[in-house]
Amino acid sequence: MDFYLGLAQIIGVHTILGLSAYVVMLTGQLSLAQAGFFAIGAYVAGMLTVLAGFHIVPAMLVGAVLAGLMAFIVGFPALRVKGLMLVIATLAFGEFVRLFFFNFDYQISKGGITVGPLGGEGFRQIRFFPENGWTSLDVMLFVWAVVIIVMAALWWMDRSRAGAVLRAVGEDELAAQSAGINLTVVKVAAMTAGGFIAGLGGGIYAHYTTHIEHLNFGVILATFAIAYPILGGLSNVFGTLVAVIFIQGVLVEGLRFMGDWRNLLFGALIVLAMNVRPRGLFDERATALLKGLFTGRGHART
Amino acid sequence: MLALDGLSKHFGGVRAVDGLDLEVRQGEIFGLIGPNGSGKSTTVNLICGVFPVTTGEIRFEGRNITRAPPHVCLAAGIARTFQNIRLFGHLSVWQNLWVAQNAMADRKASGFLNRWFGGSARARQEVEALLEFAGVAAKADDLAGNLSFGEQRRLELARALAAKPSLLLLDEPAAGMNVEEVGQLRERLAKLRDDGMTILLVEHVMELVMGVTDRIAVLNFGQKIAEGTPEEIQNDPLVREAYLGAPQSAGGGNA
Amino acid sequence: MEDFLFDLIDLVQSIADGLLFGTTYAMIGIGFTLIFGVMDKLNMSYAAAAIAGAYSSIAILAVVPAPAPVAFFIAAIAAGLFGYVIYLLCFRFIPLASPLATLMATVGMLLLIDEIIVHETDGMPQPYPALFDDVMVEFGPFGLRGDLMFVFAVSVVSMAVLLYLIYRTRLGIATRAVSQQPVAAQLCGIGLERTNAMTFVITGVLGGIAGAMIGAAVGVLSPLLSIPFTVKGLIVTVIGGLGSIPGAIIAGLLVGAFENTFQFLRGVTERDMYVMLLLFVFLFLRPGGIFSPPDGRD
Repeated sequence: MDFYLGLAQIIGVHTILGLSAYVVMLTGQLSLAQAGFFAIGAYVAGMLTVLAGFHIVPAMLVGAVLAGLMAFIVGFPALRVKGLMLVIATLAFGEFVRLFFFNFDYQISKGGITVGPLGGEGFRQIRFFPENGWTSLDVMLFVWAVVIIVMAALWWMDRSRAGAVLRAVGEDELAAQSAGINLTVVKVAAMTAGGFIAGLGGGIYAHYTTHIEHLNFGVILATFAIAYPILGGLSNVFGTLVAVIFIQGVLVEGLRFMGDWRNLLFGALIVLAMNVRPRGLFDERATALLKGLFTGRGHART
Repeated sequence: MLALDGLSKHFGGVRAVDGLDLEVRQGEIFGLIGPNGSGKSTTVNLICGVFPVTTGEIRFEGRNITRAPPHVCLAAGIARTFQNIRLFGHLSVWQNLWVAQNAMADRKASGFLNRWFGGSARARQEVEALLEFAGVAAKADDLAGNLSFGEQRRLELARALAAKPSLLLLDEPAAGMNVEEVGQLRERLAKLRDDGMTILLVEHVMELVMGVTDRIAVLNFGQKIAEGTPEEIQNDPLVREAYLGAPQSAGGGNA
Repeated sequence: MEDFLFDLIDLVQSIADGLLFGTTYAMIGIGFTLIFGVMDKLNMSYAAAAIAGAYSSIAILAVVPAPAPVAFFIAAIAAGLFGYVIYLLCFRFIPLASPLATLMATVGMLLLIDEIIVHETDGMPQPYPALFDDVMVEFGPFGLRGDLMFVFAVSVVSMAVLLYLIYRTRLGIATRAVSQQPVAAQLCGIGLERTNAMTFVITGVLGGIAGAMIGAAVGVLSPLLSIPFTVKGLIVTVIGGLGSIPGAIIAGLLVGAFENTFQFLRGVTERDMYVMLLLFVFLFLRPGGIFSPPDGRD
């Protein structure tokens, strides 16, 4: 049972991560910094609960706001120039964040033991859940409550004028500009929202794994983040969820018997998928078919 | 209303637009014609800030908009269409209009949250009139990319109008249209003028230009070689030589 | 005062070493920039393929022992081959209208190459042959390492040959024609696909030389190299101005010197952070890079 609860937590957190990349991708941009924003959310929220005794919800919110602020700072100069600049800037920023936490020590003594992040050793003992008596089921429900809030917010956004504007920018920047849309504002806003959402995901992640270190937030995680919405397609938020279930549930867990060959498969699968279905494994038609099914299931979970 | 003063655009060594002076007056349809490559489309792109201006000045309603980016030009009241249609093909027909509702007056009236995240029901009503105008009301929920060529042209015009501009820049709106469609377009433009719209019309199709414009300027090699009423232009020997004398549909020589 | 003087000597020494090693960054940067120029797309797997080329030479040398220059040559050939494979798998069959898909495919390729290397070497660093690593040329208090000078010389010659290829041969002119006006170039009888494929092979060969030189300068190859070289190669590309070859050369030297300076001042674990910060300084102050290309009609 615990295995399935754990898997549900992983799927939930990765869905949040994937959705953070989805928002940015609607504007036609690709951000490789989502793992970095996720790391900021994780470290900040972890430090607030462990070192400052915060409750997890405000801690996550503060982490998310900081991650969103960093996204704004990265996105603004990069998006003023050329679209591809964002890919490079975000890749560099993601690595910067990882290296920052690799070099980051902030330890204090609490109740006789030292706690806090310690460079390459990582940040151990983020024990908010066990200390407050949350069971695995409670944690899983909490994760999915956040997932559903984020999904509902994005679903609403997608149907509002904001969603149409993001997609318009993603389709044709010149036409969007000529229709009165300030490209920089829209793209930076999407980037900031993406950073915020990734920060939320990181905050939960730090607390259910209880131990984070810089290696958790490398390029692989950044690739996962963009792989979900690309594979799931951009027609709606459920595509990302389906892609996470497919990759984390089927590929990562289902193929454990393949040992380290499994890692090879991930890269090869992306290359193959992009050749066969450049608009996503689950393009408009496939998502339309699956949509009913998964909305039903999503409700059953709450 | 719109004044170009010594406007120039150089691409490397090519002078696409070379010291152009032009004035479009309130409430008129102003035609801009010339052979292919004479700088007409470049002029449109300079006015709405797509290309940076090399030298010269653009003033609109007394305001200097020489360096203004496209979205600022639109906020000032200049909307445009494209030579090769540029709709948001994966958005629905009515969403194309919704996205373009960027008039300053609307922004202030509706409030930030409502404008960006409000429900779609009221917004749909607001674009209803434009859907009627473009003759695509029945296909409001279709993807714009699935419309016929003529419908896409009309939708693009409607999208430009959605921002409630005071000046329309139309870049070859009749390209690829048959005689009947050109006639309809002509009526549509005349009606817009009667409602008080000012239009700068870049066009090759002479039936349209000669039939609907109040004044015309002729470009050749980025320079203005003539300006006047349609009758004056048709009788101008310089223009006949540069442009009208050549077979009309071929569009004359290349620069 | 004496301490300060010693520090200053060490600092200058670090900068000199960094400049010599920076030529490898320049080569990686040129590779990124050329592919960007021709395809208007990023090939994220480029640096990984370059390092994989160097790995291939180790694999072949393990079977057939040969001197170091042969290893460098094999690395270049292998990486050229990888370049072609990447073109086939990540560019050739993906529609032009899906730029995100191409980018994603090259990211997938980057991970795939990394994982293959990890799988084949169990993640252990592999020693790489060097030339002149026992030579040290002394200039008063300074010394230039022989292996680094060799790396510098090979890199400069490789870049010179590349520049000759691009500016003086029919192939290079075709490549530049495609990068400027793909449609017009096709109408002039230049095969678009063949030119694109050749660009990948040539940049691949250059990358292979860079990979071998990285191995020769560092002394070992490890799977941990590919991400930093990807990031730094891209940073060089941005600082030099996307699409500019002279810009990439200067930016490569700049990044090399900058990085060694900060390794001296702040230590090896913090070094790369400052290189990333350098990118953001440029993004704020000079977003078009050192040599920003002139604006065109489109």
